[in-house]
Amino acid sequence: MSEHRSSIALVDVNNFYVSSERAFDPSLEGRPLVVLSNNDGCVITRSPEAKALGISMGTPWFRIAGQARDWGLEVRSSNYELYGDLSARVMELLGRYTGNLEIYSIDEAFLTLSGPLDAQHRTGTEIRAVVRRHVGLPVCVGIAPTKTLAKLANRWAKGNPGFDGVCHWDLVPEEHRRSLLQRLAVSDIWGVGARNAQRLNAIGIDSAWDLAAADPVGIRKRFSVVLMRTVLELQGTSCITGHESTGNEQVLYSRSFATPVTTRDAMHQALSTYAQGAASRLARKSLQGRVITAFAATSPFSTGPRSAPTVCVPLPAHTANPLELTRAADRLLPLVEEGVPYIRAGVVVTDLRPAGAQALLPVDGSAPKDTGLLLHDVGRRFGRSAIGLGHAGLKAGSDWTMKRDMLSPHYTTKWSELPVVKAR
Amino acid sequence: MRMDGSGASGAAPRRPMGSTEGGSLLPSGYASPAQDWFEDRIDLNRHLIKDITSTFIVRVSGDAMEGAGISDGDELIVDRALRPRDGSVVIAVLDGELVIRRLRIAPSGVLLVAAHTAYEPIPVPDPDHLVIWGVATRCLHHV
Ligand SMILES: [Mg+2]
Repeated sequence: MSEHRSSIALVDVNNFYVSSERAFDPSLEGRPLVVLSNNDGCVITRSPEAKALGISMGTPWFRIAGQARDWGLEVRSSNYELYGDLSARVMELLGRYTGNLEIYSIDEAFLTLSGPLDAQHRTGTEIRAVVRRHVGLPVCVGIAPTKTLAKLANRWAKGNPGFDGVCHWDLVPEEHRRSLLQRLAVSDIWGVGARNAQRLNAIGIDSAWDLAAADPVGIRKRFSVVLMRTVLELQGTSCITGHESTGNEQVLYSRSFATPVTTRDAMHQALSTYAQGAASRLARKSLQGRVITAFAATSPFSTGPRSAPTVCVPLPAHTANPLELTRAADRLLPLVEEGVPYIRAGVVVTDLRPAGAQALLPVDGSAPKDTGLLLHDVGRRFGRSAIGLGHAGLKAGSDWTMKRDMLSPHYTTKWSELPVVKAR
Repeated sequence: MRMDGSGASGAAPRRPMGSTEGGSLLPSGYASPAQDWFEDRIDLNRHLIKDITSTFIVRVSGDAMEGAGISDGDELIVDRALRPRDGSVVIAVLDGELVIRRLRIAPSGVLLVAAHTAYEPIPVPDPDHLVIWGVATRCLHHV
């Protein structure tokens, strides 16, 4: 008899941006490919082939642009419209496997799984196959009693072909788990920052194994409640719940309803409240987000109609503006079905960065241009209404602040840019 | 395993079109008799898309499928989740390109055949390594 226990699965898309580009352009398969950050600034995703070339995360594009052709390196600007659409498809699929989906970032979500452990593992394998078949994206699944361990299991599933993309912590032999933990630096554990890692090293705690063996109360006294929770989670006690896991990677605002919401109007109100809640959390942390995901779900135990609509909306620019976030979250409403009892809804803001971290006008690494010339350039490229000064410019709300010279088509969101299939 | 993700169970009141009951029973001064016959407008997404998570629209370039009613410039609805079968119109990955052909699975071997006399069938010597990107379910032909 297999053991029954509720577990947490972390599903994470492998090299999400790179995989999204490849899903529509098979010629990129097997070739070194990098995707650049906003304004084509630096490398934010690398294919394994690009990693093998020695290109590191965060490399400024201008520094490697000269050699790209010699290396056979393919490069793309961030196609947030495409990534947002594929993300929403993945999240909707994941919602079919659990009543409790917590979207953690544009390409990661936690799911609660129940039943026998080997059945949980099979669900993980099925999720991997189904996401690949439906959306064309590779994912890895880590399953464990706690979120922190699920993160670790996911990492191992990714780095170790033997797992075939799915690692269930409880099904890994004890001695194998020990050696995995002993080889993992504390700095690589979810929620342990670089500063904590340094202080931990100073008292002789170097590996995940060391931290798992630490006394939680002692850690709370020397460090913080947050780090104590990490220790408990490493020991198998789940204590990071949805509402708390708002690190600096995402801001989640989600609630279960006391009475089910059955109308679009009521859902509209709920989403507005949550989007504003997320906006004030962002403001409090001096952060801005680039992508907002809104979702709603019916009860997994309901025998009636089930529905789990999700939208993922890339914003024109980083923002913490409650109005913009609310308007974006409202894009969920057309997918909300009248008369269906929703018990939960929420918004997640991801792709965060410190407020005011970016210049407003496009910067390309060369000498600063005369602003007038720049306005003229942008106006010519994107149409005159695309840019202006002060309010006139801000109200445009299009992506004029971003330089994206190597952008792939908006395959799934623009009728004029559909993928082309050859009848040859 | 697959569930229908697009099936809106509309709660809007529905009545069969042409039903005459109701009109004469309305109290005088009732705001809008028409609302009793309210019915959602036809939504092509509901009828043409089985699963929104796996459905993509693509555009055809070339005339090799002309004989199947699929012309240059037509749009296709493609479901990536469907299992390709003998006779399916598929999007296959050939030399890094998305190519549309009809899949033929015979004891003698697997072929990707065109629907135009000018194009030879493409033999698939190693079907295990054939990547089928998706299966076309509808053609939006420009008439
Ligand atoms: Mg990922």
